[in-house]
Amino acid sequence: MKPNSFTMLRAMTRIRAFETALAARPDHGFQLLSSGEEAVAVGLSSALNAGDQLLTGGRSIGPVIARGADPRRVMAELLGKTDGMNGGRAGRGHLSDPGSGFFGAHAVVGGNISIAAGVALAKQLDNDGSIVAVLFGDGACGSGALHETLNMAAIWKLPLLFVCNNNQWSVSTARQDALAPRRLSDIGATFGLPACTIDGLDVEGVAATIGEAADKIRQGHGPAFVECTSIRLRSHSTTARETRKRQELAELLTHCPIRRQIARLGLDEDTVEMLDREAAEFAAEALAFAEASPYPSAAGVLTDVG
Amino acid sequence: MLDSLGVPTKRLFFREAVAKAVREEMLRDGRVLVMGQDVGSFGGSYREFDGLFAEFGAARVRDTPVAENASIGIGAGAAAAGYRPLVTITYMDFLMLGFDPLINYAAKLRYKTGGGLTAPVVVKTTAGAQGQGVAHSQCIEAWLMSVPGLKVVAPSTPADAYGLMKTALRADGPVVYIDHKRLFPVPGEVPLAGDLIPFGQAAVRREGTDVTITTHSFMTRVALEAAERLEGDGISCEVIDLRSLAPLDMATIIQSVARTGALVTLEEGQVTTGVGAEVIARVVETIGHLPWARVGALPAPVSSNPVLEAACVPNATRVAEAVRNLLAR
Repeated sequence: MKPNSFTMLRAMTRIRAFETALAARPDHGFQLLSSGEEAVAVGLSSALNAGDQLLTGGRSIGPVIARGADPRRVMAELLGKTDGMNGGRAGRGHLSDPGSGFFGAHAVVGGNISIAAGVALAKQLDNDGSIVAVLFGDGACGSGALHETLNMAAIWKLPLLFVCNNNQWSVSTARQDALAPRRLSDIGATFGLPACTIDGLDVEGVAATIGEAADKIRQGHGPAFVECTSIRLRSHSTTARETRKRQELAELLTHCPIRRQIARLGLDEDTVEMLDREAAEFAAEALAFAEASPYPSAAGVLTDVG
Repeated sequence: MLDSLGVPTKRLFFREAVAKAVREEMLRDGRVLVMGQDVGSFGGSYREFDGLFAEFGAARVRDTPVAENASIGIGAGAAAAGYRPLVTITYMDFLMLGFDPLINYAAKLRYKTGGGLTAPVVVKTTAGAQGQGVAHSQCIEAWLMSVPGLKVVAPSTPADAYGLMKTALRADGPVVYIDHKRLFPVPGEVPLAGDLIPFGQAAVRREGTDVTITTHSFMTRVALEAAERLEGDGISCEVIDLRSLAPLDMATIIQSVARTGALVTLEEGQVTTGVGAEVIARVVETIGHLPWARVGALPAPVSSNPVLEAACVPNATRVAEAVRNLLAR
């Protein structure tokens, strides 16, 4: 067993447990969960170094935990508590923890892509060998911001890794009804980027491919584009209607990236149970921390505006 | 030469004042960058970046493709990551293409990170009617004034262009700096002392006793022309150049209006939810009812047709008429 294989499985299991615990709370608010997409977040994060920065769209919970942010502060942030990493102001859509290498989520679809290129420009000017990764969904592939940014990143050879987590749905609109390219990585290839489409349910494959792409970017070869095909096991958000049939969802579950990694490692039931228990404790500890933290005072509504 | 206070000045056009301010700030702070269409060896659409490419090179003075959205986004991202980019948008109409990174990201970054990150990006653009038609003429600064976290400035003199640009390049959060096409041919004395002009400070351009006219950018000249004509009729106008629209210098406005007892607002953009509407509302909130009138573009697009353009945007005749009507009530 590769040492990384088990670590990555544990990270995925923790994310699943964390999101499940969050969604089970009646006061969880409006959340975009990433169940089914953990292999993308974990595989991608395994390819990033401490000095690198990751930016994402609004589906940010898996990526920020995978990047190593304090899960207790993530949970507090998601529940609007003062001990959240952004004082409870940012929430799921706008979490930011640059110290952990998570520069920030930004919940406008496609809106964080040019921002990431700006962070990459800063890295290029700093010339410190670090890179930036931006994670976005298939929905963002229809946005002009992606196309404008790909062009500029290519011209300027920015140290920027474009990672598309293609979960195949924009709320209720299927990918094939919304996007013309045969593969979404073709969009990156159009601008001359090294681009590929890979199985986003295979955490080791994601880690390997993105690791190679990141290395090339680090060597100064400019941006790259990786499309990871994944699945969305839940509805778009915790308040959105599920439009797919039960049977379809049950079938999807058989492709779960966590189950797949367990099977690959040939883990016995006891080990899986131990993993699940440890992940549940991980989530429970984060929830306990968040619960103990107060909401911000309404008197602070005007601070840090401008 | 020396100004009224004995400070040495130099006669500069707007483009020269902007170039001087940007150059000085680039020398002072290695994190200041310039990005935009034709800013490189071309020196900017209005030559307002003349010489910067030769002096600072392509890493700090960057030509961009025609991609306003990504250009502002990249500027905002680089700002969040420690740089101070100036992103130029050739016409204010095209600023709309970059509203998402400017308004949804840059203006909110400080707030949403609880002060952890800021986006000190300056977006410089050029507004105003000068024969270029419905999508190259607009003054949409009032749209921007309602965005928490965004600062908006619009100089009417080369000295203010210089001082406000320097302040903008040192500001903590996003700033929209607005030039006006019809001001470019107008030179002015710029102090050589390198003075910054703080945001939120209006300038009284003409003192008067009967009515206060608040305005900004090119319309300041129109207001002064109207005031000159009205003097012949025995009407004394005080003209306040707002300079900074967000934040607004309400203290100077209130002080003036409390004295004159009447207020006319003038802008080149639309009066509906305009700069003047905001000024009047805040004045009335503070000192109660008083006679007021607002002057701005007619509620129509600004055509490139010279007859229709002139009919749409305000001129000194319309301003003088509005003042006379107000005081005759």
